Amino acid sequence: MAHESSRTVDDAETASGDAAATVPTSGRTEKEIIFSDLEVPATASTNMALRKNSASPLTATFAAVRTNPPKKAPRWRSVLPPMTPKLATGLILIAAIVLFGVLGPVFLGNPRSIRDIGRTPPGGEFLLGTTQTGQDVLAQLAHATQGSLLIGLVVGVLALILSMIFGVIGSYVGGWLDESFSLFTNIMLVIPGLPLVIVISSYVEDKTIWVLAVVLAITSWAASARVLRSVTLSLRSRDYVAAARVSGEKSWRIIVVEILPNLIPVLASQFVLAIIAAILAEAGLSYLGLGASGTFTWGTMLFQAQNGFALTLGTWWWFVPPGILIAVLGGALSLVNFAIDEVVNPKLRTTTLRKDKKRLKKRLHTTTEGGVPV
Amino acid sequence: MSHAMKRKRATVAGVMLASALTLTACTAPTGDANGGDSSGKSEVVVYTGVTGDFAENFNPFIEGNLQSTRGVIYEPLFFYNITSGGDPEPLLGESFEFNEAGTELTITMRDGVKWSDGEDLTAEDVVYTFELITEVPAFNTAGYDGQAELVDEKTVKFTFPEPSFTDAVSYIGNTPIVPEHIWAEKTDPTTDQNAEPIGSGAFTLSEFNSQNYLLAANEEYWGGRPEIDTVRYISLTGNQSATDTLLQGEIDLAGIFLPDVEGVFKGTPLEYTNTPLNQTSFFTCSDEAQGCTGPQTDVAVRTAIYNALNRDQLNSLAFSSYNGQMSPTYGLLERDEKWIADEFSEPVPGTPNVDAAIEALEGAGYARGSDGIFAKDGERVSLTVQVVTGWTDYIAAIDASAEQLLEAGIELKPAQVSFQEWTANKSNGNFQLSLDSLGQGVAADPYYLYMRYFHSDNTAPVGETSGQNFARYSNATVDQAIDAAGSTLDEAVKAEQYAVVQAEIVRDMPYIPILVNSALTIYNTDNVQGWPTEDNLYAYPRPDRAWDNGIVLKTIKPAN
Amino acid sequence: MRYIARKLGFYAVALWGALTVNFLLPRMLPGNPVDILVAKLSARGPVTDELRDSLELLLGGAPDQGILEQYWVYLVGIFTGNLGISITYYPVPVVEIIGQALPWTLVMIGIGTLLAFIVGVALGMLAGWKRGSWLDNLVPVTTMFQAVPYFWLALVLLYILSVGLGAFPVSGGYNYNVAQPGFTWDFVGTAIYHGTLPALTIVISSFGGWLLGMRNMMVSTLSEDYIVTAEAKGLRPMRIMTAYAARNAVLPSVAGFAISLGFVVSGSIVTEQVFSYPGIGSTLLQAVNNSDYALMQGLFLVITLAVLGANLIVDLLYGVIDPRTRANG
Repeated sequence: MAHESSRTVDDAETASGDAAATVPTSGRTEKEIIFSDLEVPATASTNMALRKNSASPLTATFAAVRTNPPKKAPRWRSVLPPMTPKLATGLILIAAIVLFGVLGPVFLGNPRSIRDIGRTPPGGEFLLGTTQTGQDVLAQLAHATQGSLLIGLVVGVLALILSMIFGVIGSYVGGWLDESFSLFTNIMLVIPGLPLVIVISSYVEDKTIWVLAVVLAITSWAASARVLRSVTLSLRSRDYVAAARVSGEKSWRIIVVEILPNLIPVLASQFVLAIIAAILAEAGLSYLGLGASGTFTWGTMLFQAQNGFALTLGTWWWFVPPGILIAVLGGALSLVNFAIDEVVNPKLRTTTLRKDKKRLKKRLHTTTEGGVPV
Repeated sequence: MSHAMKRKRATVAGVMLASALTLTACTAPTGDANGGDSSGKSEVVVYTGVTGDFAENFNPFIEGNLQSTRGVIYEPLFFYNITSGGDPEPLLGESFEFNEAGTELTITMRDGVKWSDGEDLTAEDVVYTFELITEVPAFNTAGYDGQAELVDEKTVKFTFPEPSFTDAVSYIGNTPIVPEHIWAEKTDPTTDQNAEPIGSGAFTLSEFNSQNYLLAANEEYWGGRPEIDTVRYISLTGNQSATDTLLQGEIDLAGIFLPDVEGVFKGTPLEYTNTPLNQTSFFTCSDEAQGCTGPQTDVAVRTAIYNALNRDQLNSLAFSSYNGQMSPTYGLLERDEKWIADEFSEPVPGTPNVDAAIEALEGAGYARGSDGIFAKDGERVSLTVQVVTGWTDYIAAIDASAEQLLEAGIELKPAQVSFQEWTANKSNGNFQLSLDSLGQGVAADPYYLYMRYFHSDNTAPVGETSGQNFARYSNATVDQAIDAAGSTLDEAVKAEQYAVVQAEIVRDMPYIPILVNSALTIYNTDNVQGWPTEDNLYAYPRPDRAWDNGIVLKTIKPAN
Repeated sequence: MRYIARKLGFYAVALWGALTVNFLLPRMLPGNPVDILVAKLSARGPVTDELRDSLELLLGGAPDQGILEQYWVYLVGIFTGNLGISITYYPVPVVEIIGQALPWTLVMIGIGTLLAFIVGVALGMLAGWKRGSWLDNLVPVTTMFQAVPYFWLALVLLYILSVGLGAFPVSGGYNYNVAQPGFTWDFVGTAIYHGTLPALTIVISSFGGWLLGMRNMMVSTLSEDYIVTAEAKGLRPMRIMTAYAARNAVLPSVAGFAISLGFVVSGSIVTEQVFSYPGIGSTLLQAVNNSDYALMQGLFLVITLAVLGANLIVDLLYGVIDPRTRANG
């Protein structure tokens, strides 16, 4: 499937989330120790959660020796990623595409207008040439950008909400609710996504992009929910959460005040991934002729170009731009995701490499002195 | 070309795949599919336009059987050429004769015909075939209601309850004759895949798998062994991949659509024949009495749409100018010339007549609203037209039509739906307009089209499943005239009845005529000659048409 | 043992849930197979009302049954391997069609996915080991490949390499002039030749994900104290990289790989469409387009079993690899 590539990202995430989730709750103490060793609040990334499984018992020993006092609430600044060239590039590209999608349709003409000048190469009146039926490619591209961004955004938000409901609430409350939510999540995960989208969307008579977005959201939240569940499980056992519980705070308040802020980087990362996946999935569906009808998206444009034999007839200006825009937006979102990952897991920062090593050396020195045999 | 191309491919492949694929780099390019490879055998590779893998089904009575089953492996008694309307060509039958009333039909069989397993094909097999059809209703695709009896070894007599001059064409021209000694043994013919078909046609099945299958020349064919040694049918995913494969010189005959055929295949030995046949029209749910709702139930609105369309522009933008002009009578302009009444001999105009459209609407009491759209009694002339998602030429045609109709104060809104929905909506009458085409019948006679699309027997109220009269058109005058035309052999009487039908349907216009849809057949002239061309349409050239494909394949010859 | 029993129990429930959903969903499709067949046939030749009636006799049996009866027949059918007869490929049994299509998908897409995994993990290991090196800096570039729509990349590659240069075949799973399917060298050779480009596009568009995941795990693992310990002990860097760091870091990727194998089956739809390649994906597309309930159910079943099986294997594997999982279970 077209979103296969992004699927693998999700899979990796899922897998790690899953691995963490397979660790039963009785292992809590161990987890606490490890997480408390981190300097940044939450540990979100699945990688981090997973690290637990791959760590040798030695780690636990080291960690046990050196415990940092856990911070109660995250400082907001530490949640925001530092501005790196990568992040800046990503944000600028996203801003440019969003601007094009918002303003383009206003200034460029009707994308459906048919003229008797089919397949005009770029230049002159039509900067990106015309389609088989003389429609302005640039105008279509602007409308398509709007459509695709809309799908990405709507799916991202919906999937986020669903994954929070099934991932965060379930795992915080625990018990049968957690079991059943987790079971449901896992079932949703094993049901093949693309066929499910095809089936549900063909059930709806008038397949607008809204319908498509809802369907894509329904079929794409599960992986993210599993990640969130594993992270929430670890947060739930943190000292300050336990303290809040002991002091009689209400559950919803603990979730909103203590847990959610720590989840923000993970949520952001999942949100970004969901947008990429949604845009690619829509493009793939449209390519198969199963996309939204009567709306312009990058996918439907590619589908029409493909059907108009754009490659065979050499009308590259019709086929190439939508593909490039998808790739650029996807790349830009990935850059942003890198930055978020680095917040979640500071060890990933390239810039901190030297400092890291020094710190480690020092730590090794300390612990050795502490009498742990090497 | 294919030779040069393959050699080039061999070199590049060899370089690029290096050692890991040495094996394939050597083997892949050697087998030239077409006439004149090392073994001296001529093979024709066919792509019929069907997508997806093949399923082993050579049962000629089950719809969905492989394309070559009807025509190439099994044959009917007579072949009716849909493109010319000439006399039927005798195949397994030699001649036929009706009694005066049209209730008895006597068929004389051809001599010396053998099944591909060596047994003789006799009149008994014909009687058996028609008895089988009567016994198994699922096989009775033509509505056969006769009785076949054996007169002597080479004569069969059919008796029908009603005059069947026209209907009998379906029986003798559309029924595959099967061998009694094989089929009498089958336990459940309705689900039998007939994996080893024994037929009488020019080719026999040689090998099968789900990506391609091979037919070999029938050495004992009654018409003489065909000149082509083998025919291979291949499966592909659609027009784009078929075009790529054609360009590689790996297909000899294909029925596909692509824009700018001449440009794409320039410099290759690929040529094409365009045989427009199906008539693209706006189907309307036309009859309020049957439960249709919307502005299109008013004949004035249908007439206005008819006049406001710019068909020349539609043809050039959406159909690459391949489509043909249409007659408002739904007869095919050249083929059915003698059946089209004089007053309607002109084709539907290519240029719009907006004034006439506006006149039609104003004459019926419509007035333009402030938005420029006509309205009557508060109802705007705004129509939704359904089209299948992905039928890009139709979608482009609707986009263009919408702009054209706007000038005449008519709003056209496209609704793209899945094939399933589109089909279901048509049969249930759940549509205002639907862009579709009227198909032709068994033989070159408008009778079959009139019967299917205009006779009230084939319609049903909205909400119920109809026959192919999707427009819900019912007109007693038309019904009577169609029935009368079907029960006579007298051409003058027939033409008279058709004129009656035409006067009614041109006025009522339940299907708004647009253009005759192109049908491109692309073939390779390097290795094979004798393809049907526009000058010599000895059969309909598309490989997906039953019976005709058998005629084409036994007629073509290797070049040289 | 309790761990394994628990897991098996879960997968039994998940299987039942998935099977039930699979049963219900195809029936929510609009349209009726007979109407669709008639519409398709009328484009090819004459279709009379009598033909319609005859198709209903052949194909219209099941919808008259009650939904519960159909459900029962469905469940019984699955456990006896009888999945009904396809409408699209009437009268071929569904099992036979899936049997024909499955090997193509498993082999070509399976190998593509495996290669993408191996390449991605190997490069990710190196990138993570030498953080800040040129390879590491290429990581964002490789993830760009993932953002390109897969079919777009495949179409462009197909057009340039196959149609333009003629280096690869443009369609099909093998060259019928070389060999017919079977276990012969000729056939394997031509099948490899035809599968190379589709598999290559899968590798190009998906190895970036494995690379990134592995690289990040390597980076995390390398800062573990036991690595520092190993360094301090003076072990060779190569040994630390492979035996200590990569071995631990690869675990989540392995888990991800098993799950992605399940998606191989459904993920093949687009690949097979672009390359005119035979397999499960193109069959599924045919089934959906024809409202072929029986075939769709069969395909859903295969895909579901694949995903569940892959997940189960991962879970059990984890039980073996990570003793703590077992102990705590």
